[in-house]
Amino acid sequence: MNYETVIGIEIHCELKTKTKMFSGAPVSFGALANSCVNEIDLGHPGTLPCVNKEAVRLAIMAASALHCEIDPLVMFDRKNYYYSDLPKGFQITQQFHPIGSGGYVDIEVDQLQKRIHLERMHMEEDTAKQFHNEEGTLIDFNRAGTPLVEIVSKADMRSGKEAAAYVEKLRSILYYLGVSDVKMEEGSMRCDVNISLREAGTSAYGVKTEIKNLNSIANVQKAVEFEVQRQSAILDQGGVIIQETRRYDEALKETVSMRKKEGDVDYKYFPEPNIPPIRLDAAWIEEIAANLPELPDARKARYQKEYALSEYDAGVLVANRELAQFFDALCKYTKEYKAAANWTIVELNAVLNKENKTLAELSCEPKHLAAMIEMVKAGEISSKQAKSVFEEILRGKDPKQVVAEKGMKQMSDTGALLAIIQAVLDQNPQSIIDFKNGKDRAVGFLVGQVMKASKGTANPALSNQLIKQELAKR
Amino acid sequence: MELTTCKNQDVRKRVYEAIEKAKRLQPILNAVVSFAQDIEEQLAHLEQIDTSAPLYGIPVVLKDNVNTKGLLTSASSRILSNYIPVYDACIVEKLKAAGAIIIAKSSMDELGMGGTNLSAYTGPVHNPYDTSRISGGSSGGSAVLTAADVTPLAIGTDTGDSVRKPAAYNGVVGMKPTYGRISRYGIIPYASSLDHVGYFTTSVADAALALHVLAGRDDRDMTSSTKEVPAYEQLLNSDIKGKRIAIIDNVQKAIKDESIRTGFDQLMMRLKQRGAIVESITLNEQLLAVILPTYYIIANAEATANHSNLDGIRFGVREDGNSVEDVMSHSRTAGFSANIRKRFVVGSYSLFVENQDKLFRKAQKVRRLLVEELARVLDQYDITIASAAGSIAPHPQDSVDEQLSDTYLIAENHMILGNFSGYPSISVPCGFVEGMPVGVNLMAKPFAEQTLFDIALAIEEESGLRGQVAEVTK
Repeated sequence: MNYETVIGIEIHCELKTKTKMFSGAPVSFGALANSCVNEIDLGHPGTLPCVNKEAVRLAIMAASALHCEIDPLVMFDRKNYYYSDLPKGFQITQQFHPIGSGGYVDIEVDQLQKRIHLERMHMEEDTAKQFHNEEGTLIDFNRAGTPLVEIVSKADMRSGKEAAAYVEKLRSILYYLGVSDVKMEEGSMRCDVNISLREAGTSAYGVKTEIKNLNSIANVQKAVEFEVQRQSAILDQGGVIIQETRRYDEALKETVSMRKKEGDVDYKYFPEPNIPPIRLDAAWIEEIAANLPELPDARKARYQKEYALSEYDAGVLVANRELAQFFDALCKYTKEYKAAANWTIVELNAVLNKENKTLAELSCEPKHLAAMIEMVKAGEISSKQAKSVFEEILRGKDPKQVVAEKGMKQMSDTGALLAIIQAVLDQNPQSIIDFKNGKDRAVGFLVGQVMKASKGTANPALSNQLIKQELAKR
Repeated sequence: MELTTCKNQDVRKRVYEAIEKAKRLQPILNAVVSFAQDIEEQLAHLEQIDTSAPLYGIPVVLKDNVNTKGLLTSASSRILSNYIPVYDACIVEKLKAAGAIIIAKSSMDELGMGGTNLSAYTGPVHNPYDTSRISGGSSGGSAVLTAADVTPLAIGTDTGDSVRKPAAYNGVVGMKPTYGRISRYGIIPYASSLDHVGYFTTSVADAALALHVLAGRDDRDMTSSTKEVPAYEQLLNSDIKGKRIAIIDNVQKAIKDESIRTGFDQLMMRLKQRGAIVESITLNEQLLAVILPTYYIIANAEATANHSNLDGIRFGVREDGNSVEDVMSHSRTAGFSANIRKRFVVGSYSLFVENQDKLFRKAQKVRRLLVEELARVLDQYDITIASAAGSIAPHPQDSVDEQLSDTYLIAENHMILGNFSGYPSISVPCGFVEGMPVGVNLMAKPFAEQTLFDIALAIEEESGLRGQVAEVTK
């Protein structure tokens, strides 16, 4: 049978604040277990929550960037359930009045644009981390109380590719906003995918399964594609899909059942009495929305429009915020945008990948690279020389100084060049004959000989021009 | 003993005499859960405090739900019978900064859930005027220790009428200020939207001074008020000429004990003679009749969530089990008395999705209507007044604890209006019936504590019961 895949995604994203959502304890990843906790995070009797204003600001940034409608009245609710990773026995969340409603994310798959609508975005606190071993269960409360936003999409996606594109796009937006580390592998961004199938052309939803533990965007796509296969195989054989939570097993490359869902759990939500409703200043919300950092789509469009970059180049730059920021810095010093993009995307990126470093770990100054690009443009150094100059720039050196020290100045003096050219022509009579017989590639050979004779310092373009001129005379 | 009169004695002598007396009375009254072990340190700390500090060297008792760092805080529940807090409640810091010496933690109804003080895991507390009678609760230990002249000030908490009812039964002043006036940080909660910090003194002047010490904004409690705290004790004025006083007629009519009614009427005559305008008003009887069920639903719903942190995992008494879930469930089964577990069931039941509309949300609506009813009266009057209890302190077998009974429904539950509304309310002794103290209760507009103190002072002058304490004979 022909099925339509229906996918909705819930994303939990840790906000990058100094302290926790409702306590003054520090937020940190990888710290010694239970070292970033206070009595509030541990749910000690008598403690009270205090809302982190910075977390609210970051949530407003995210909600604005995702085109959500923002509720100016911030309210919180209790979600009640017993679990050992939940110290208070309830989680403080926003069930009844999420800070953001509606909104959307535009994605592109196979050159087709698609708008994925959002249901809601709300703030809440994270739980503790549990480690189960043979002796028992160890609990690290460092994560307990870390601010989160949960972004819930509508069931708008229809394929694994769309699901992956949605997560990637959302990740990139949140990353550019600087509101979160969005590291799926470290769990600062977590993704639950709901999948169901239905007969193509029908509108009722089928029974869904929820996939958890997806630690990369690639796995989102793989998990969805596996699950589609699994569900369609069951349906084709006349079976029924069981509503359950599954996880993606990377080794098996399969989704595996975690637990059955026996109806919906009743979380007995009710308003958090210890946090009175907070009326946000409309001017504050506007100020935050008006000062959002440039988002990836806008940046890509700007690169194409202002710098005349190809869509591909613009896309590659934007996909990596570090490179994009470096490129923007380069463009302050040079108008050779295409060359600047090439150096950034190809050479710089290759070094970063090869040495597994971040830009901050290199001493590469944008103004140095820009100066080098200008020198190539002016014919002061050859592209070949530029590559060795670039090596030095990575160590923080000024290209002018490098060129001077290495005596690399490109030979652009017509008189000196002509002398070399005459000598080369004299030594290669066969090339002259070839040229006369219409073999243009003889010129290339001769340029190569001139480069060799000049130890690479000859300006190739000028040499080319002069060789043709001299050949004509012979 | 009054704060104002015990100031001249030797501090050390005064403190140790208070402790000695508490210990001597313990077999008779059973009002203490634990004695402070750090008296010498506290006395040494006094050296850093100005001798003119308002509570300099004054021995004080705390209800056992007030967190004291390093000192057992059990909330009179078995599950916390080994709980040593890691932090001090806000009011502990305030009391110590004002020079108070905390000598003991007093018995209460388990987790504050009760009105008899018969449910503490350490056994019942006895009334100092007749030890065969109850102290009332839930702040029974603090009321009794004040009435027995152990300390001039004892802290309690008031969620239904848990300060004001035992104050009446034990012949002391019991004050519950406006919601948000005193920080709740570090108070083991019962029901967060109804919980108030309150206290007992033997005079109105002391009550005014104590509020000056305890009140004020605390950033750790988002519901605490930023309103400035006046020097109530200096502004006291018992001239009540022209003050408008509303007798809640429904309550007085519902009281079966004729002596209490007569005493009340005589007091009203004297207030009139002082120039006050004293009139009877009638509140909506139907609404008054549902105060108790409304309270029962809201308080237990909040309580079931508030006490979900008591699971034996991070603190408190832990029972063994084969899994984390078993540990939690066994600890909670063994740690709470049957009555408490029943309340949790009631609270959960009213929060189930299918019940919220007809129970939890309906109760919130009724609460709002009741508050509007009270506010309507206080638009016209400075205070409402009614007998604080419909009888003298009963014997245990005659006491009712939140049962729906026509005899008690209105006479015994009207003070909950002070918790529903958060309006300030005080109970003041007004005389004796059969050798047992009786009191009146006053309520005023939000933050009109001064009005309460002024009128209460006039009542105290009329009753002549300033500084009244019990001679414990048995």
